[in-house]
Amino acid sequence: MPRFFIRTFLLALAASWLVPGLRAQQTEVVLSATSSAKLVLGMTSPKISGLDAATVASDFTAVLRKDLDETGVIAVLAERLPADGAPAKAWKEAGAQWLLNAKLTKAANGDLQMEASAVDTSAEKGVFTRTYNANKIVPLRYLAHYLADDLVGRLTGEKGVASSRILFVRQVSPGVKEIFQVDRDGAGLVQLTRHGSLTLAPSLASDGRLAYITYKGGAPEIWGQRRKDGPHEKFYPTTAAGGMLSSPVWSPDGKRLAFVQGDRRGNSDIMVLDVASGRARRLTDGTGINTEPSWNPNGNQIAFTSDREGGPQVFLMQDDGSNLRRLTAEGLYNASPAWSPNGAMIAYVSRFEGKFDLFVYKLGEGKAYQITTGVSTSESPAWSPDERLLVFTSNRFGPLQLFTTDLSGRQIRRLTELPGCQSPRWIRGR
Amino acid sequence: MRYGTYLVPAAIVLTLGSLACKPPKTAEQIKQETQAAFNEGVQAFKDGKGRETNPYVNDKDNPHKAQGWFDGWDKAKADKEAADKAAAEKAAADAKAAADAKAAADRAAADEAARRAAEAEKAAAFKAAAAKALLTIHFDYDKSEIKEKDRAILQGIADFMKAFPAAKVEIEGHCDERGTNEYNLALGNKRAAAALAYLKTLGVDEARFTTISYGKEKPVCTEAKESCWSQNRRGEFKAK
Repeated sequence: MPRFFIRTFLLALAASWLVPGLRAQQTEVVLSATSSAKLVLGMTSPKISGLDAATVASDFTAVLRKDLDETGVIAVLAERLPADGAPAKAWKEAGAQWLLNAKLTKAANGDLQMEASAVDTSAEKGVFTRTYNANKIVPLRYLAHYLADDLVGRLTGEKGVASSRILFVRQVSPGVKEIFQVDRDGAGLVQLTRHGSLTLAPSLASDGRLAYITYKGGAPEIWGQRRKDGPHEKFYPTTAAGGMLSSPVWSPDGKRLAFVQGDRRGNSDIMVLDVASGRARRLTDGTGINTEPSWNPNGNQIAFTSDREGGPQVFLMQDDGSNLRRLTAEGLYNASPAWSPNGAMIAYVSRFEGKFDLFVYKLGEGKAYQITTGVSTSESPAWSPDERLLVFTSNRFGPLQLFTTDLSGRQIRRLTELPGCQSPRWIRGR
Repeated sequence: MRYGTYLVPAAIVLTLGSLACKPPKTAEQIKQETQAAFNEGVQAFKDGKGRETNPYVNDKDNPHKAQGWFDGWDKAKADKEAADKAAAEKAAADAKAAADAKAAADRAAADEAARRAAEAEKAAAFKAAAAKALLTIHFDYDKSEIKEKDRAILQGIADFMKAFPAAKVEIEGHCDERGTNEYNLALGNKRAAAALAYLKTLGVDEARFTTISYGKEKPVCTEAKESCWSQNRRGEFKAK
């Protein structure tokens, strides 16, 4: 994570030495990722050729506007818009700090090209220029996502997540669950497995390889892909019955899988499988329940849930099982830890008055913050790749559906209206 | 001259007599003629000329020819009769063999049907006993201890396992919807293990059981209330 440290250092520098807020000095960083100030962006109507205006309005402009609104760092100017062709000065007077121009061209063979540029309206100089070439199979919506991600990247130093995807498990019929994928804006639903049985707990390596649990052979088995875009094959157990298996999670380097194996005495333990050699190693000590492993971004520590001290609580340990320590102090039921992509926070769920809420434990502060409150249950938190949002499941509208929330818990959005969803995972799309 | 009176006629008689009378056939001649007649008859038979009457039958001078002819005729007849008889015997043997085989097949089929019926009866008895014994037990929230009221059910399962020594059973652990998917999978495993441990204390070989946890993935009731949750926190027993 050198980039993270550099960014943190630069942010600290900017906060202590420079005027807080917007300042770009010899770095890419314009806005602190945690600042609540938003950059106001003016958007001119895209110039189009080979495409009809209605399609562009619905599949590009509206998508881009929604993407940018949901970034949390950019506000799209919506009122008192200057007329098309007005100079940057007019946009500045209307309140826009940046002005975005886009030109979309559809070639005769169906390929798309987008030239996008942004200018700073006060300095009247370009701050962003990029040309995108997309094969004809790429939907127009994706160009909007790519542009939104790159604008956020220009602004904050870390690419946005508009083009990211969310993996989840969904019940297709009683007793049959399969893994699905949906774009971050709720469009583009794709079914990834067709085992016709219980299929649970998807995990995606950074290069896109899937691992999951399926009961297709009667007993649970760990399945996954050995190479990118490769076939789905059985990883574990390699020989006979493996007992209870759950929660395969790729290590950040994509070489190992942490998983849970239960024995016939009722214990379940965190194991680590070296995928290339097929060798598995037990990390916990075989008493009680140990489950829900989550790697830190360095891949040298694992957070997990254990009932060794009574009810379920979140514990941390090294990836060899040493240095075991309890993380959560309050509450009788804390579970489902999810280590944040940059390693500084751990999201988990805690039971309070019979329902579950999301909490985030900040490791630097040693304190937990409650994210969701209410009468409904919120479960299975997973981090967005930019650490800005959490995706989770909730029954607030009846059946379990997917929602996202920011870390303040004030901006909760429903991702899809599909019922019966569980175990979401959030991954970068490109 | 007196002698001439007798001698001359005598000489004449002897001379004429010897001229008139052929000498008798030798045994060798008779044998050859008999053989020739025989061959002639065989040939006639073979040619299928249907000579039903013997050409030598009225040849009084050569009765051996008539006899020789008859010999040939009788042999062919005997051969034909022997062949007919053999064919008839073979047909009869075949028929008998076929009949025997059919009888054996019928018997085997009857045996098989009887065996099947017995098996079906046994399977039905097993099924009935399994349905009667393999009842569902229930657990308290976030607990895996066997409840007092479920002990009779587990005793019934142990009795069933002893009554059917070949029976194998899968113990399924299930949970209610509260709690995380993964923690509930581990809890379901703990519940199945608790049932297994209890059955072991009742003297059933634990190798005859497999355990599986479905966590909260297979509820029997999907409403968010205690009456529903208590049904879902369960251990099921399935004959394999």
